[in-house]
Amino acid sequence: MHLPDGFLDAKTALLSTAAAAAGVGLALRQARTTLEPRQMPMLGLAAAFVFAAQMLNFPVGGGTSGHLLGGVLTAILLGPAAAVLVMTCVLIVQCLVFNDGGLLALGANVFNMAIVNVCGGYFVFRLLKRLARMENRRATVFAAAFAGWFGTVLASMTCAGQLALSDQSPWSVAFPAMVLAHILIGVGEGLATGLITMAVLRARPQLLAGTGGSAGALGAGFLGYGLLVALGLVVFVAPFASPWPDGLETAAKALGFAGQATPPLIKGPVSDYRLPFISSMAAATAVAGVIGALLAFIGAYGLARFLAPGLDAAKKDAPSGN
Amino acid sequence: MRPPETESRPGTRLRRAPPRVKLLAALVLVAATTLLPRRLGPAYLVPAAVLGGLWLASRMPLLYALRRLLVAQTFILGIALLSLFSPSARPGFPAAVSKSNLCILALLVLGWTTPFPELLQALRRLRLPSVMLTTLALMYRYLPVLAEEARRMQRARASRTFSRNRRLAWQNLGAILGGLFVRTADRAERIYLAMCARGWK
Amino acid sequence: MNTGVRSAECGVRSAESVRSAECSLRTPHSALRTPGGVPALEVCELSYSYAPGRVALEQVSFSVAPDECIGVLGPNGAGKSTLLLHLNGLLPERLPLAPNIRVAGQPLRAGTLDLIRQRVGLLFQDPEDQLISASVFEDVAFGPRQLGICGPDLQGLVERCLRQVGLAGFDGREPHRLSHGEKRRVCLAGVLACGPSVLVLDEPSSGLDPRGRREFKALLRRLPGAKLIATHDLELVVDLCSRVLILDQGRLVAEGPTLELLANEQLMLAHGLEKPHSLLHHHPHL
Repeated sequence: MHLPDGFLDAKTALLSTAAAAAGVGLALRQARTTLEPRQMPMLGLAAAFVFAAQMLNFPVGGGTSGHLLGGVLTAILLGPAAAVLVMTCVLIVQCLVFNDGGLLALGANVFNMAIVNVCGGYFVFRLLKRLARMENRRATVFAAAFAGWFGTVLASMTCAGQLALSDQSPWSVAFPAMVLAHILIGVGEGLATGLITMAVLRARPQLLAGTGGSAGALGAGFLGYGLLVALGLVVFVAPFASPWPDGLETAAKALGFAGQATPPLIKGPVSDYRLPFISSMAAATAVAGVIGALLAFIGAYGLARFLAPGLDAAKKDAPSGN
Repeated sequence: MRPPETESRPGTRLRRAPPRVKLLAALVLVAATTLLPRRLGPAYLVPAAVLGGLWLASRMPLLYALRRLLVAQTFILGIALLSLFSPSARPGFPAAVSKSNLCILALLVLGWTTPFPELLQALRRLRLPSVMLTTLALMYRYLPVLAEEARRMQRARASRTFSRNRRLAWQNLGAILGGLFVRTADRAERIYLAMCARGWK
Repeated sequence: MNTGVRSAECGVRSAESVRSAECSLRTPHSALRTPGGVPALEVCELSYSYAPGRVALEQVSFSVAPDECIGVLGPNGAGKSTLLLHLNGLLPERLPLAPNIRVAGQPLRAGTLDLIRQRVGLLFQDPEDQLISASVFEDVAFGPRQLGICGPDLQGLVERCLRQVGLAGFDGREPHRLSHGEKRRVCLAGVLACGPSVLVLDEPSSGLDPRGRREFKALLRRLPGAKLIATHDLELVVDLCSRVLILDQGRLVAEGPTLELLANEQLMLAHGLEKPHSLLHHHPHL
């Protein structure tokens, strides 16, 4: 989901960078007040950890492999403020050293992957953990797995919105493409997040304890992040989602814009792609999203319920090879 | 992909230029390129020429640059292809791809002529918050250490894994990364003590 | 014998005069360098528990004279590392009102923590944890920067310390490309750059190959000032230390001249140690 340079236009880049700066600024302020000096080196080490984790191949199937993003995982392990900072640093290094993600697009990438992904995912994690009617540790794994999936999908939505806002790609194409792809990709992310959370819970449960109370679910910081994420959705997603895309197209046609476009290189079925398909694509994506969410929910539940032996409050070590 | 090894490079003038200047120059170049019109035209030759000149001045090896550009095409084309699906956005495809590649070239030259610690100095001069500077510095320092630890853990696991089961592979990865996180947390604690022992506050 | 070798090398060398000059620059205490005066380090009935029931140290008391080299021995879990962390003020998290530790007569309490921390240089067991910067220069400069040294003074200091540990010209090197022995020496340079009067070393020879070990031992021998070495390397103790402390289960169970204690096979075996090879076979160089 790393956007390279050259795709976002000036206004979108500026908007995203402003939103990203606001989010990082909020995280810095929170870190200054809640983070003890003892935890400062952990930020750097956690960033190295995320990087190392991203380098490992997760076997997806059919010979392909996926990679972890790690935003929601970091939020669960360190709290949202620290996670925002850690992911921002990871993205900076990825841009400057590995050319993964553009320099001017850094603002957008930070907003999508370090703020929307982290905060949206973390919010869902806390919500699910509180609502789940399971033993505490199982609930954590379940919430972690679903939140990992959710954060990825949410970030892909704002990413698609940024592309559409830049007129780089019409919403009707960008949204289904990005979101559908990430509904699938998110499964790996959710699975990895759940499994790693489970492993840490088994080995050193105290490491997660800090994110419980002190993160302040309804504190000012959290409210700030929520506002930012909501703003992002409003700016980047809502303008396209509310009037149906075919409505936009017919409006453009009526105003004579569509006719001015140069004739398509490939005639036939592709040009027919525009009208009848579009509204069904959007609807299809929405349906896929709901189905994906349900499946992710069930998958996360299954992971916690059946694949997490030995997580019960009893202090004995898990007998299985993990 | 490993970060570029900067110790054994020819000492060109670009290499010796102050890092803050180089970073800002890259920013300006990238900004100028993104502001180019959405159709390929003669205007594109300007940044192309500038970057070509910088490339020559930095003596960046052709193979190295081409290899990184090739890897970058996967991201670029992945997103650019989206515009092919609609006639109104389609003409912008070659322009978008060109812009992206030019920008990546700018960052490649920056990366080749500026080792990461110098980039950090540049970021410090540009007033990046100190929390982030410390995080970036420690991340750069300990990434190879953690990567080596992960590799060792993976090898230890593999030496006792006898089936090609995918479920087992996922569980193993989860366990390795979970274990790596715990070790990382312990190491961070020791680093904190070592930093305090030399007067850090 | 040990003492003979030591007194020959404790004459003034250029590195030592540089260090002592720096010591006096930053503090008016001249008692630090007075032989036979105030002990360099004094520990008095030090106790510590990590948690109720988990006693790590119990009423440990000893003192170290300036220029003396002391070995701290004991089985794993005896509390050696815990003791070392106390000497630098890293433990306990909240310093007690009645201080247990004195460095050159100065009691270790909240107000004097910064000063004491500079006076007692602590070399950690794993150099990977102590080498935190992106280049050797930056890492050695880390300590002196906190003390306010900068510019050409800093440059000169770093170069001197690197030369002192035998790593002249290593300024620009990246830490993860160094060998284990080189990393350890960079850490030592970083500690020396803070100008300590007492050096505390946690397992300094662990992980070193035989040549690295020999070189590090020679280096330690050249360094003046009080030294406290916690180690499993009994041969190192025989070669460098005049006195030895034996810790077991948090208690100081024995204290005395090196050869006397280490030759006592019963004592050594009783506390998870053994008689060192060089004493078992009466090697000629002793």
